[in-house]
Amino acid sequence: MGDAWISGKPATLQAACAEAARLLGASRFPLIAGLGTDMAGARAAITLARRLGAAVDHMHSAALLKDLDVMRDAGWMVTTPGETRVRADCLLLVGTALTSAWLELPRRLLAPGTEAARRVVWLCPGREVARSLAKDTHVNAHAHVEVVGGDEADLPIVLAALRARVAGRPIGKTPVPQDAIDALAGNLQSARFGVAIWSAASGIDALAIEMLCGLVKDLNAKTRFSGLPLPPGDNAAGVLEACGWTTGYPVRTSLRAETDALHDPWRFDASRLVDSGEADCVLWISAYRPAAPSWTRDVATIALSSPDTRFRRPAKVQIAVGRPGGDHDSVEHVAATGALGTMVAAAPSAAVSVAQVISDITAALPAGA
Amino acid sequence: MLTRLAGGRVIDPAHQRDGIGDVWIRDGRIVESPPAPAAADATYDASGKIVMAGGIDIHSHIAGSNVNTARLLLPERHAMTGGWATFATGCLYAKMGFTTVVEPAVAPHYALHAHLELADIPIIDKAMLAVLGNDDFLFGLMHKRESAAAMRDYVAWTLATTRGLGIKVINAGGAEAFKSNVRAFSLDDVVPHYGMTSRAIVKALQQAVHELGVPHPLHVHCNNLGLAGNAETALATIAAAEGLPLHLAHLQFYGYGTEGKRGFSSAAALLAEAVNATKSVTIDVGQVMFGPTVTISSDVLRQFNARNAARPRKWVIFDGDANGGGVVPYEYRADDFYNAVQWAAGLELFLLINDPWRVFFTTDHPNGAPFTTYPDILALLMDRDRRAEWIAKLPPEAVALTTLPSIAREYTLGEIATMTRAAPARLLGLADRGHLAPGAVADIAVYAEQADRAAMFRDAALVFKDGDLVVRDGEVTSIRYGRALTVRPDFDQAIARRMRAYYDERYGISPDVMAVPDGAIGRPDPFELVPCAS
Repeated sequence: MGDAWISGKPATLQAACAEAARLLGASRFPLIAGLGTDMAGARAAITLARRLGAAVDHMHSAALLKDLDVMRDAGWMVTTPGETRVRADCLLLVGTALTSAWLELPRRLLAPGTEAARRVVWLCPGREVARSLAKDTHVNAHAHVEVVGGDEADLPIVLAALRARVAGRPIGKTPVPQDAIDALAGNLQSARFGVAIWSAASGIDALAIEMLCGLVKDLNAKTRFSGLPLPPGDNAAGVLEACGWTTGYPVRTSLRAETDALHDPWRFDASRLVDSGEADCVLWISAYRPAAPSWTRDVATIALSSPDTRFRRPAKVQIAVGRPGGDHDSVEHVAATGALGTMVAAAPSAAVSVAQVISDITAALPAGA
Repeated sequence: MLTRLAGGRVIDPAHQRDGIGDVWIRDGRIVESPPAPAAADATYDASGKIVMAGGIDIHSHIAGSNVNTARLLLPERHAMTGGWATFATGCLYAKMGFTTVVEPAVAPHYALHAHLELADIPIIDKAMLAVLGNDDFLFGLMHKRESAAAMRDYVAWTLATTRGLGIKVINAGGAEAFKSNVRAFSLDDVVPHYGMTSRAIVKALQQAVHELGVPHPLHVHCNNLGLAGNAETALATIAAAEGLPLHLAHLQFYGYGTEGKRGFSSAAALLAEAVNATKSVTIDVGQVMFGPTVTISSDVLRQFNARNAARPRKWVIFDGDANGGGVVPYEYRADDFYNAVQWAAGLELFLLINDPWRVFFTTDHPNGAPFTTYPDILALLMDRDRRAEWIAKLPPEAVALTTLPSIAREYTLGEIATMTRAAPARLLGLADRGHLAPGAVADIAVYAEQADRAAMFRDAALVFKDGDLVVRDGEVTSIRYGRALTVRPDFDQAIARRMRAYYDERYGISPDVMAVPDGAIGRPDPFELVPCAS
């Protein structure tokens, strides 16, 4: 079985790493993107980026930075999936894409026995989810879910109205009748420990997230309430943490010498760097699934991914890597705990890890690169 | 390879040594002088210089999820400590001659995260304290009045699972009470639903840690941090030690009385008197210095109550599985009455506690000030004229509510070496650190003797870590990665089965997910075991 290719032709791992090192070493401005990898892979990628003077970005940066921009502009109150499970007497599910962001959400938070007499309200779940809830399917089988509002597009105004009513201020016309807003405002205020859950990977915008986080803060004047942002997949939350502690900044950061980092969410957006031609060589990493980059411009690409990834433009070098937690043990962000955790390989194989390949590429870099 | 540090003033209070002499290094350890001095493979001239063991910091928030949240919350303060990511942290400590640092507040569920961060801090050795005392399992043990042995097993299992060096308790029961919407919580208040007092939690953990033979006594962050009149809480906690070892963290933040027209004064003299009289108690100061910083604490109740003091106006409150945490940026100002009292109270504690073996040198980094202010604080302790210059710039009404202007004491270099080297090694049970006798790890700091003590301590002339030269003239000369120090007291394996069942029932997960295996760290030999008393 082949596990490495140069210009589409099978090659040894050693030759592929040497070619990758040659391309990266010759690059004017290399980019390390995708970053769908475990903590070892992320730490190795950041170390390589420092050596090369590369920028780093994650495939889910848009969602990551939506939440992060709210946090670092205004602050927030958040809690853990575990605390939500064992303590929350009120769940405010907000918007769409919650169960796709966390497949186990219904089992962990809505199953009987997780908390007696838990009130569950789903705000603007979208027509499809609302219909399926009405038909008493999957999610609804676990707990009674009350739906308020329909389309995700209504979310900003419904959240604003809700926050206004919690603060005792009048509101104008909204897509939801004021009775329903008032009833919900009352229910949130009478919760003992409520949790609002959202996914930035949905269509919710940063202003709506900020409104929601402001609502949570306001509720804490009299009772206890917290937030549970569901992070996007591909270990985005773990990569964000690693980038934070090694550089001081989140992803979309350009690195140079050990303590030199420049963070700019616009300038170091991987798609923009490729589309503008600023980046001339990309190390693309997607170890959890065969994800390909979204850009269409031709750029010298080294791909560490599963072999069945379909690229719009063929990669110059492709190296098949194992799935963290599948082919090899990994440390990564775990949805059930909301923390970094150890995942033991489900089906250990000889497939190489991202960290190992990056180590080999680094060793093959020309002196001075 | 045999290395000689020749002709320096060697200050080693652990062995009552203070005089001109040599220190010899072989294979990472300090060795006896060989009979023929010419045998050295390398010689460093230390004449005119001070030679001490590497510094040891027992309480500095340098890693973990709350620290990382602070980084992500405050990109605009990135330059606060010269770039406060992991790489800079290790280099900045090494430049000051510090070679071992303890991260004092790691929630067990975030131990793996903390160890990965610690592993990316170069040069220095590290350790972390695991936080208990707001966790449901412990409350359950106490509520059901289970045996002291059950408590010991749980504490030992936690240390083994998290790979900690000790146990810390932070506002015992306070985080849990806050989840039930309690907004103030003191030593004899009762945890809602579970029914035990904060005092009972502290006593139970103190006893378990002591009986397990863990060298570092229970590390206590008291209730009521930062509040006027909280010296009463600290005095009650000191009294609660009842003859067993107990360490009180950042005591300055509990050094407040209620005198003066603002009802806020320094009660540090009172606390110092109590510490002087209570030999089983140790404290660290948590000195405040003026400037922008960020407060990072697992005392989620306190941080929530402090949220409106945030500068800039943004803050994070995290309700964790047990303690959680809060990140509140703050700026201490010399012209602020309250901040001036805090600054003075810290120095009063340093100067009025008469035993340098029981008062430890911290700023509770970054809560009182970034650790990069250490050289300035050392200079203040060693020079009363320098203190007078600072005092002259403070609001007089604040100074009047402290005893600081009346204190003439100046720390000697020997006392500084005790407080920052010999005593921390003893407190943490690190028999081969903090001193310069043969057999010690060759962690050595050499400072050029100069009148400006701040300049002297800011840029060490030479620093050796495990015998390797890592700093010369204040510049890092080579990068290496140290280890994390851990303890592993014995426990009955039945607790592991019990924890497995508990995690499955409560969270629907295996506790294995929070384990910290060697292979997860990504560095060779990431841990070093510190023995417990048997």
